[in-house]
Amino acid sequence: MGKKPATGRKLSAEAGSAADPAFGYRAMPDIADEMVDTQGQVRPVWQGLLSAISRMTEQELHDRFARADRYLRDAGVFYRAYGAQGSGERSWPISHIPVLIDEKEWQALEAGLIQRANVLEEVVADIYGENRLVRDGCLPPALIAANPEYLRPLVGIKPVGGHYLHFCSFEVGRGPDGNWWVLADRTQAPSGAGFALENRVATTRAFSDIYAETHVHRLASFFGAFRNTLQGGKHSAEDRIAVLTPGPANETYFEHAYIARYLGFMLLEGEDLTVFNDRVMVRTVAGLKPVSVLWRRLDASYADPLELNQQSHIGTPGLVEALRAGSVSIVNALGSGILETRALLSFMPTICRHLLGEDLLMPSIATWWCGQQAEREHVASNISRMVIGPAYSRLPFFDDNGQSVLGSTLRSSAKVSIADWLNTDGAKLVGQEAVTLSTTPAIVNGKLTPRPMSLRVFAARTADGWEIMPGGFARIGSGDDVAAIAMQSGGRAADVWIVSDKPVERTTLLPAEENFTRNMPGSLPSRAADNLFWLGRYIERAEGALRILRAWNARFAESADPKQPLLANVSDYLAALDMDTTEAVPESLLRNIDSAVYSASNIRDRFSPDGWLALNDLAKTARRFHERVKPGDDATHAMTVLLRKLAGFAGLVHENMYRFTGWRFLSIGRYLERGLHMTRLLGHMSGPDAPDGALDMLLEIGDNVMTHRRRYNVNTARLTVTDLLALDPLNPRSILFQLNEIRTEVEQLPNAFVNGQMSPFYREAMRLHSGVAVMTPETMNGDVYRRLENEIERLSDILAQTYLG
Amino acid sequence: MLYDLSLHMGYLYDAPATNARHIIRVLPLSLPDRQRLVAGSLTVSPTPGERSTFTDFFQHPASSVFVRASHERLDIRMKARVQVEAQPIAADLSPLLAKLPDELADCWSLDPGSPHHFFGTSPRIPQEPIIADYARGMAGEDRTVCQIATALCARVHKDFTYDPEATTVDTTPKQAFLLKRGVCQDFSHIMISALRSLGIPAGYVSGYLRTIPPPGKERLEGADAMHAWVRVWCGDAMGWIELDPTNNIAAGTDHIVVAYGRDYSDVAPVIGVLKSYGKQQTIQAVDVVPVG
Repeated sequence: MGKKPATGRKLSAEAGSAADPAFGYRAMPDIADEMVDTQGQVRPVWQGLLSAISRMTEQELHDRFARADRYLRDAGVFYRAYGAQGSGERSWPISHIPVLIDEKEWQALEAGLIQRANVLEEVVADIYGENRLVRDGCLPPALIAANPEYLRPLVGIKPVGGHYLHFCSFEVGRGPDGNWWVLADRTQAPSGAGFALENRVATTRAFSDIYAETHVHRLASFFGAFRNTLQGGKHSAEDRIAVLTPGPANETYFEHAYIARYLGFMLLEGEDLTVFNDRVMVRTVAGLKPVSVLWRRLDASYADPLELNQQSHIGTPGLVEALRAGSVSIVNALGSGILETRALLSFMPTICRHLLGEDLLMPSIATWWCGQQAEREHVASNISRMVIGPAYSRLPFFDDNGQSVLGSTLRSSAKVSIADWLNTDGAKLVGQEAVTLSTTPAIVNGKLTPRPMSLRVFAARTADGWEIMPGGFARIGSGDDVAAIAMQSGGRAADVWIVSDKPVERTTLLPAEENFTRNMPGSLPSRAADNLFWLGRYIERAEGALRILRAWNARFAESADPKQPLLANVSDYLAALDMDTTEAVPESLLRNIDSAVYSASNIRDRFSPDGWLALNDLAKTARRFHERVKPGDDATHAMTVLLRKLAGFAGLVHENMYRFTGWRFLSIGRYLERGLHMTRLLGHMSGPDAPDGALDMLLEIGDNVMTHRRRYNVNTARLTVTDLLALDPLNPRSILFQLNEIRTEVEQLPNAFVNGQMSPFYREAMRLHSGVAVMTPETMNGDVYRRLENEIERLSDILAQTYLG
Repeated sequence: MLYDLSLHMGYLYDAPATNARHIIRVLPLSLPDRQRLVAGSLTVSPTPGERSTFTDFFQHPASSVFVRASHERLDIRMKARVQVEAQPIAADLSPLLAKLPDELADCWSLDPGSPHHFFGTSPRIPQEPIIADYARGMAGEDRTVCQIATALCARVHKDFTYDPEATTVDTTPKQAFLLKRGVCQDFSHIMISALRSLGIPAGYVSGYLRTIPPPGKERLEGADAMHAWVRVWCGDAMGWIELDPTNNIAAGTDHIVVAYGRDYSDVAPVIGVLKSYGKQQTIQAVDVVPVG
């Protein structure tokens, strides 16, 4: 909602009247609609929501939508969009009006999808097992053999626990006759369940009163049941369950982090894992720890560069070996992606009859694989009713980046060449009936407007068989064209309410028992520790630079002569840090802040959305300042603003982050960088040859002007400044303070003691601290600072070797 | 023929390697009525902390080894005694090319020897219109699949120059095709690509070649390292035949089969993932000695 709409006007004002129960909403001819039936009557489940909306002014509706949008923004919900200018994070495109479905209708849909999930399980077990379907003539071998998702190294490997599929989703749509059709099966790494949860929260922010009055099925119990399934796959209590993600560059990384956080699982990337004695282990700061269940969100072929796609940089070598040894359960089993093959849809009816002796309860969209002659001829002679697309595509036709061609849009001359095309490349093509999907209301320009919709429904395996999430993820087209449903082309997502006529059971994921045990957080993965450590260092590095730049610009504003000895001296120092004082906000400062954002982006599951937003705000502001701020007064002010924003982030972290191993690595990173910063600065500016004003500037950078006055009661002198900035254990910016804090944190890290003896890292931290603690201001000189700088750097290296490798 | 085989592959790393995991496919296969592995051993140095054997999809007994500790070189040594039986001369039972699709369609199998696996594209053999153009002239209406394959083998041998300096293990079929040079791997990839473009299933064979020529014969090309050739599906009645485009001969008692696959990626002697910085050097030595 861009501009503010006129107030007071009611949504239904144009066409609304008592005689028009749908308030001017008109379904499109010959297309089913979710809200109104073929007679134009509002379906019973929609009546409450619709009449409530129709009583609202546009302003009220606008305010309600704004509440939902604010929630999504504050929660940091995003997806990654790929475009000509590379990829970027986009805010979540919600269509605020939920899709309402009657519970009774939903039950039929559930039964159809449960049957389908059972069939798919048998199909994938057969493809990677006995191959009865091929031998019995139900499945052409060529369709499997040429399929990029047919992973030969997995043939013959039976999954632990016996099941290939644990979590599936189905793209379903309603045809013109009002019946539901399956448009695509998702078995590789189905996404959207986490977004469905966020859609629910956002939508209830907008319609909390209506939601409370409507008997809408809750989503939490579905996730609880699936969490139990995954936990059932553990070999022992200390085994770990993890969500395996391709990483932050993935389109739906937000959801991976969200799901991991929501269910309390680790979020891991391929490089976090190693295979040791046929077991999958996660590298943590406390050593290798076993992982027995991986819920993968990464395409199977990338999972193991040794036996699968050798080009993969995001996999774990040896993962297939671990599967052969039966030591890990991967959900869904590697290779299950083959079930998504579009051409497979055409064989589902036969397969279902062959395997279960019954018909599919819910039809798939009519599909013909052109690798067979009769089917090819059927497609060629009905071309104007067909969509032609790639047989091995794993995406539904309306969501495959334009790879599919609508037969009716071809000119008659082209139709001849289509027949040729089908003859030569038939095995790679499918024809599918060009369906129109049902429409559902969306607010467009302040009016309820019908938009095409498809629904993603989720199924999870539980101890009692498949359970269907009572709700889902609706995708709403941006125009009236079915192809515009894809979010990459401007489609939106909406919540789905399954409405009962009785009150529904309310469940949460929280345990109901009065007694609870306090779970200690699991071991921190080394990569997460690495990112936290570097986040600490980059943030502190930025702060150090900001303080120097502020002091420099304040003096430059007075003298305006960069050649003035003190300014030139500090410019030299900054140049060594790759910062150019002719730039008010130097490029390399921006790079520091961006690096902090990058480190944080790798550990989104460990961050509060507040902290993330504060950090991004800092980065954005710094970029804006870089464009327009001039050296001098302007820059001094800009640095103050940036320092305040940075302190805001640091404060959020300090006040809210749980004090455990992750916190310690972040803190050690900060102390270490701050210690380095002060050591270098003192080495450069506190010598006997330092220019006039250097000592005062040092105090200003260290934020110690007042303290110095109070404690020493004399003018600034080399020794007093050294005492305060290097050796005062109570000054939070002194070198000694940092070393003391590091020592305290290190003591709490895992393996600080090995068989009762200090670890090399702890010993080094201790030695460094004691070495500085016994120094006096007189003994501090350029050589000592240089040596100290090297030793602090070395401490960082030892930390990396000990914990982060 | 009875052969004693030995192979040494050495990897020398500029910077020490750790966490090295390798899959090794160098031991000869046992094939009923054709080739029998009498004895065979595989040693890896430094001694791997973990080692296991599994049968891969195309039925090769692959070894998986894991060397966790830091090492500057890795040596793989294979020794084997193999009995190779001469094969009776096969009559051409293959169909005309136009009939092959029907025979293919009648094959309802995904067994490792099913022709369906060796059709279309594979990881190292994408569709190459330039190679398809090259092959198109070979297919005559009156020629059998076997005749086409044999003619193509001769044509590749004639048109391409054996040159170990021209290509590397990563060279694509198209690059080698444009260079008109290469080694057994390139000859085989080009021939497979050409056959598949005509609709003929074709696969990759890795193996060893007799290094000491029989009296009065010249030494064959490719004997100083592991060798590669092509297998072609000639319809249901005739099945698979094996042709060596590097030497323009059918694979006979001079050829010892190690592994079958769709292309090099399925049968690479060593596939490894390890942690190291810097480059590596590879050495390879093969000896195939007839012992009776």
